[in-house]
Amino acid sequence: MRTGVYPFTAIVGQEDMKLALILNVINPALGGVLIKGEKGTAKSTAVRALADLLPAMEAVKECQFHCDPQDQHHMCEACVEKNKTAALTTQSVKMKVVELPVSATEDRVVGTLDIEHAIKCGEKKFDPGILAQANRNILYVDEINLLDDHVVDVLLDAAAMGVNTVEREGVSYSHPARFVLVGTMNPEEGDIRPQLLDRFGLSITVTGEHQSEQRVEVIKRRLGYEQDSDVFSSAYQQEQAELGKAILQASRLLPQVTIADELLTLVANMSIKLEVDGHRADITVIKTALTLAAFDGRDKVTVEDIKKAVRLALPHRMRRRPFEDGVLNWDVVEAMFQEQ
Amino acid sequence: MREARNNMSKRITFPFAAVVGQEDVKQALLIALTNPKAGGVLVAGEKGTAKSSLVRALTNVLPDQKIIELPLNATEDMVFGNIDLEYALTCGEKVFSPGILARAHGQVLYVDEVNLLRREVLTSLLDTADRGVNIVEREGISHRHESRFTLIGTMNPEEGTLTATVLDRFGMFVAVNRETDPAARTKILRRVLAYEKEPDLFCRQYETATRDLTESLQAARIVLGTIEISVAMMELAAQYCAKAHSAGHRAELFLLEAAKAVAALAGRGYLLPADMERAAYFVLPHRMRQQESPPPAEEQQEESSEDQNDQDNQTEQPNLPPKNAPPPDIQGQDESETEDSEDKNEELPPPQNDTADQERVADIDKNFPNAKLNVSLSQDRQVRQGSGKRSLTRTDLKQGRYVRSCLPNGKLTDLAFDATLRAAAPYQRLRPKGNCCITIKQEDLRQKVREKRIGNTFLFVVDASGSMGARERMRAVKGAIFSMLQDAYQKRDQVGLVAFRRETAEVLLPVTRSVDLAQKCLQQLPTGGKTPLAEGLATAFTVLQSMQKKEKEMQPILVLVTDGRANRSKASGGDPVADAVSMAEKMKLAGFNSVVIDTEMDFIKLGVARTVAQAMGAAYYRLQELSEQKILHIVKNLG
Repeated sequence: MRTGVYPFTAIVGQEDMKLALILNVINPALGGVLIKGEKGTAKSTAVRALADLLPAMEAVKECQFHCDPQDQHHMCEACVEKNKTAALTTQSVKMKVVELPVSATEDRVVGTLDIEHAIKCGEKKFDPGILAQANRNILYVDEINLLDDHVVDVLLDAAAMGVNTVEREGVSYSHPARFVLVGTMNPEEGDIRPQLLDRFGLSITVTGEHQSEQRVEVIKRRLGYEQDSDVFSSAYQQEQAELGKAILQASRLLPQVTIADELLTLVANMSIKLEVDGHRADITVIKTALTLAAFDGRDKVTVEDIKKAVRLALPHRMRRRPFEDGVLNWDVVEAMFQEQ
Repeated sequence: MREARNNMSKRITFPFAAVVGQEDVKQALLIALTNPKAGGVLVAGEKGTAKSSLVRALTNVLPDQKIIELPLNATEDMVFGNIDLEYALTCGEKVFSPGILARAHGQVLYVDEVNLLRREVLTSLLDTADRGVNIVEREGISHRHESRFTLIGTMNPEEGTLTATVLDRFGMFVAVNRETDPAARTKILRRVLAYEKEPDLFCRQYETATRDLTESLQAARIVLGTIEISVAMMELAAQYCAKAHSAGHRAELFLLEAAKAVAALAGRGYLLPADMERAAYFVLPHRMRQQESPPPAEEQQEESSEDQNDQDNQTEQPNLPPKNAPPPDIQGQDESETEDSEDKNEELPPPQNDTADQERVADIDKNFPNAKLNVSLSQDRQVRQGSGKRSLTRTDLKQGRYVRSCLPNGKLTDLAFDATLRAAAPYQRLRPKGNCCITIKQEDLRQKVREKRIGNTFLFVVDASGSMGARERMRAVKGAIFSMLQDAYQKRDQVGLVAFRRETAEVLLPVTRSVDLAQKCLQQLPTGGKTPLAEGLATAFTVLQSMQKKEKEMQPILVLVTDGRANRSKASGGDPVADAVSMAEKMKLAGFNSVVIDTEMDFIKLGVARTVAQAMGAAYYRLQELSEQKILHIVKNLG
């Protein structure tokens, strides 16, 4: 399966994008990332390359939704039942990147009636869709701005609740669907619905590298990779392994990271001043800051973490009327940091 | 099959009692739960304001009820019920298999994003809520059963609005706002972080608070039964409703029932006027009608009153449900009309040096009244494709939402498996069995009916010549287009922009769904030079033609904005006006729909734009009219 994946660490530049993706792997509760940029800026390459860095996780054996045996609150019905009578058998599976193609129909996304089973056995059975596969994994939607409106609706529903509720074609079913939503889009091809935008924890804009040395390096590596992907990849094995280890360590450290009350207040004040919608913004900034600290090997959040987190989590949440640019007024932010 | 029916909601949720602030929403929800006769509640607010969290948190507060969720992906048969497949197979009989409405009987029915629910489903749902009976007539099943439930809906008005009729069916309305107090916001942050870290521990801290809530709810339900309504109270209710100019009599009944619940929740066995006032706060806001406004300025009045209640700068939308306003007797009159931009157009500064060749960039007059493009689709039976919100059409491409099944008309293209199986099921005992459990015959086959919203495509053709730049005319024009774009944005239309000036016309923006880009183009559009009107139309013609080639079902609409002062012909020495008119006739022949907005404001009117409009078979509006009427009626002439 993983043959032909360009190594994540071999991507030149695009540090923000790489950081945002890594943070989401460390802390799946961050809420995913939206990557905006022109075509040919390694957006999709980076997301697909992420697969190689993903950690292994414990999952209930033979469960369609790879339920976490430790987390009773987010188990599917079958696992809850099994758990009552006996200890669950588990297996270690690798977290993966599940792709949702833009052309996907709603029934394939949410799941539907298992036709084969119905015809053979005359019984109704639920045939899980992409959202089932995506549980505890990364759900990747390329060109998310081109997704059909009604598919976006169901995606929003599931992303918000972590549960996919299906009421269609004679089946009534619900199962856990907690995933890291990663979307890429080229803004030239149309905008994305504000509500979907808000579901993304982080957002970043990528641009092509402008320095010619960097550009040359991009070409060199790409050619090297195309010539012999195995040789190329093995050159990055060490780096990949190190990054994988760093991610694992950070996710272990994450629960211990703490944040001072002043910083919480600072973030709350900032959201009020910047007039961002709702409360998701503050929550995401804090979570991002916590994760940043963990990735850096610290157990305390610093002002710098918050600053970085604001850059990643706020730009797409700036209140904007249709047609008015929602720009993050960095001066306001700087001023507030100064006051601190 | 063992069905995991919506009982994910039994799972751990953020405790109701731990939600900071939002007292109005909490109270409205408790009123609805105390007294189902109060007609349920609609919660509206921007994203990320704990709307859904609050409703879902009710699971743990409710003493004896469940929250049944109606997901947006639900097909009609699942909502209303259909034939029992397994029973039909084994016994060869048609038996009713209950749907969500049956499960919701006696429970709480929750619809998240209720404004995105399909109209038909929503209407039937509200009908059922009203009557308390679900009547099913489908797939050879005729059945009726009781279905009384407390309806709770949440919505984000930015995503679309509900019509007045639908709004009226909800007993109560409550607006959610984000918290603006730093201390409260910090508290929210702390609680959410604590909950996410250790949900069990967090919930345990609120166990007592949750139990208290449950008990007070139970107590209130008992008290509720003892509350009598005096004639004086009925009169008061009628007065409230009359002041709010609410249509119909639902309001009074909901108001009294809600007031009873307010009293009951306060532990009182009798009604006080204060209870009524509190209830009015929830029952009346979405039913208020402005009466004083003189007919022509009706829309504007509504808007200005909205502004008045608009405390947090919410994006204005034409049919935005009202925010919770103070009860009507407190609300003042709308004293000041918002600035009338028509006056602005009339009282423009005197012409400065009107050098037509000078280039300038006018800004956008953002105070231009909301102009809307109203497209009447008289007979839209054609099968279409596309994605948007403006018109809902049936689509026979295998895209769109599967809503119901039907007998195939001719060749079967999109098999509805579930419906086919249900159709075949009752006859299985009579049919010879093959390798499969079910034998399907030709007559069982059912086709999927899918629905998809399609937007319209508007191609704006804008005159950017020097004459348009005069007297700040361009500012108003940009304002008009801007407001139309805003409307298009909300309806997910596609837009394109062609501008013509000097010698040529240019496609500034190929047709796109990004209305944002269109607005940016518009902002930067400079004026100056001659008016090659015919050239502009020719370019537009090419764009429209290629568009129709690509997507046959698309019915693009041309919006021409010009003062008609054509002074540059295609061939040198030709008559610029005649050129334009002949181009316009070509447009009409090709069957393109169009509308012309005439910006001519000079003392001596040449009326070329009108002539062009006639030749094109276009609807004709003057820019001034636009600011008065605000709605452009374009009737699509479907071939």
